[in-house]
Amino acid sequence: MTPLMSLRDLKVEFDTRHGRVTALSGVSLDVRPGETLGIVGESGCGKSITALAMMGLVPNPPGHVTQGVIEFNGEDITHAPARRLQQLRGGDIAMIFQEPMTSLNPVFTVGDQISEAILLHQDISKAEAAQQVIDLLDTVGIPEPEARAKSYPHQLSGGMRQRVMIAMAISCRPKLLIADEPTTALDVTVQAQIFDLMREIQAKFGVAIVLITHDMGAIAEMTDRVAVMYAGRIIEQGRSDEILDNPMHPYTRGLIGCIPVLGREAASTDRLPPLAEIPGVVPPLHLLGDGCAFAERCALADANCRAQRPLLVVKSHPVACHHAGVLA
Amino acid sequence: MSDPLLSVRNLQVSFDVGRKGLFGKPQQLRAVRGVDFDLMPGRTLGLVGESGSGKTTTAMAAIRLTAATGGAVQFDGHDLLSLPEGEMRKQRKHLQVIFQDPYSSLNPRDRVGAVVREPLDLMDVGDPAGREARVRDLFGLVGLRPDQMSLFPHQFSGGQRQRISIARALATNPRLIVCDEPVSALDVAIQAQILNLLRRLQDEFGLSYLFISHDLGVVQFICDDIAVMYLGEIVEYADRPTLFSKPRHPYTAVLLEAAPSLKRRKSSGYQREGMVKGDLPSPMNLPKGCAFASRCPVVQDRCRAQAPALREVGDSRVACHFPLS
Repeated sequence: MTPLMSLRDLKVEFDTRHGRVTALSGVSLDVRPGETLGIVGESGCGKSITALAMMGLVPNPPGHVTQGVIEFNGEDITHAPARRLQQLRGGDIAMIFQEPMTSLNPVFTVGDQISEAILLHQDISKAEAAQQVIDLLDTVGIPEPEARAKSYPHQLSGGMRQRVMIAMAISCRPKLLIADEPTTALDVTVQAQIFDLMREIQAKFGVAIVLITHDMGAIAEMTDRVAVMYAGRIIEQGRSDEILDNPMHPYTRGLIGCIPVLGREAASTDRLPPLAEIPGVVPPLHLLGDGCAFAERCALADANCRAQRPLLVVKSHPVACHHAGVLA
Repeated sequence: MSDPLLSVRNLQVSFDVGRKGLFGKPQQLRAVRGVDFDLMPGRTLGLVGESGSGKTTTAMAAIRLTAATGGAVQFDGHDLLSLPEGEMRKQRKHLQVIFQDPYSSLNPRDRVGAVVREPLDLMDVGDPAGREARVRDLFGLVGLRPDQMSLFPHQFSGGQRQRISIARALATNPRLIVCDEPVSALDVAIQAQILNLLRRLQDEFGLSYLFISHDLGVVQFICDDIAVMYLGEIVEYADRPTLFSKPRHPYTAVLLEAAPSLKRRKSSGYQREGMVKGDLPSPMNLPKGCAFASRCPVVQDRCRAQAPALREVGDSRVACHFPLS
């Protein structure tokens, strides 16, 4: 199957006060039509920059795409003119962000903001757009859509605002929806509602979803395939089940192990054992050396790891670790 | 069994929220409506619920950082809510808080050594040299290096800042620490570090935690007893194994169902069941019956007419007319 979105050996650099640093390095991934791809990792691993690159939104300056190809539906959009990218964004590719309050304009009603997106991309009258807005709000599960369309963002709860963002995102029937930590700011019950809604919309419209998250639980529940990122590189990639059941990179194992287990399985009367820890923090990009970026935090690291960066090689799935064979 | 360290009875907190119109009646928001709980020495009690459920207000009122409008709190034999200011100040060293946001809870202009020393200065504990040595020890205890004492908060990561908050809370050798969502602003990998640290410190110093969280996974890891709150009331109260193996209140079941888990896979066609609709209702006009009735997946007529009281069902206490079996 031809991929819908494809990144090939992508390199993104940023000019900072520490000089030019590499935010993404050799990132290759495919998003297939109708699937959900998860991108997982801690803050500062390059998840959001990967998403921005897919939309042609790497801020320039200070950011530069210095190598590699971004293809959407077979079209090379790496250096596409602004006009073409504007057609794609909000049309074929849509995005929802972490904080729905800051991504909505506080001085316009949500109905106006959704119809703005529709009118930009479709040749229809304002009245028709207004009707579409009401249908969309209904689709995303907002009660009394006619009344809510006249609401301002501050009059809605966090969950409602995220629903509005999703309504806006699907207004032009995108083929690809990029969701950057869409539920991090929300309560757990509301997160569940938003996840259910995203699955429903995928089933209804066949949209492919890229879900960016730091939560392996969200990966399990929502995604078909997953890419694990660390310090600007993909370090493990594969079917979600495969990665969750047979993780080969110590970082992936850490991300899975550090989540407290929930539910009846863990309801024993004994105290639960300590959580698996990943010691330390993600290193700053300007301090990355030649070795494996994870070596500092890895229990298995040896001299070879510190000297030589492991390449992404295919074991039972692609993984970048000198010790991956030993772990498996 | 020993006496509870903190014992809260019929705690009430109301806030004035202005009037309806110029000549209207002053309105009150009842944030905490009759909460009872006991926290045993060396144990952790979790307060769980969505934003707006009153869990933070309950904890803050219990240690008199928010004024309670009714009820009683016993801490270590003292009636906290009626203590004179001076006596209350003496108790403060036994009652500390770790806040959610490690960015706004540390003074950006103070060196972090001074941040951790401040409680000792305020409480006039020991002499200056002794305080300095104590701060040095505290840095070691929470996994920071003493040479980092002269840095400013912005030079630390979120996880390190939370370690600084923990060191500050420990400075006066408290008996009770209120942990207000201490890990929810942190990355998962860092969350695990902080949770393990909190538990290690509890073992080492016999601390009691009042632990506020909306994340049931975190609660299941660290808490011994759990109170689930909804709109200012406790709706279920049980020890950890009981709550997680036999949730009795439909709201507890909903929270469990909502939390992501590695076991639920898209590949096996996972569909969530019995999820609540909509958001927490406004606490300004509470319904006559059960507060959860408007969102409850198994609501019946009686629930809308009559508010259920907290009662014993099996090993749990639950406020529901039709508890799950």
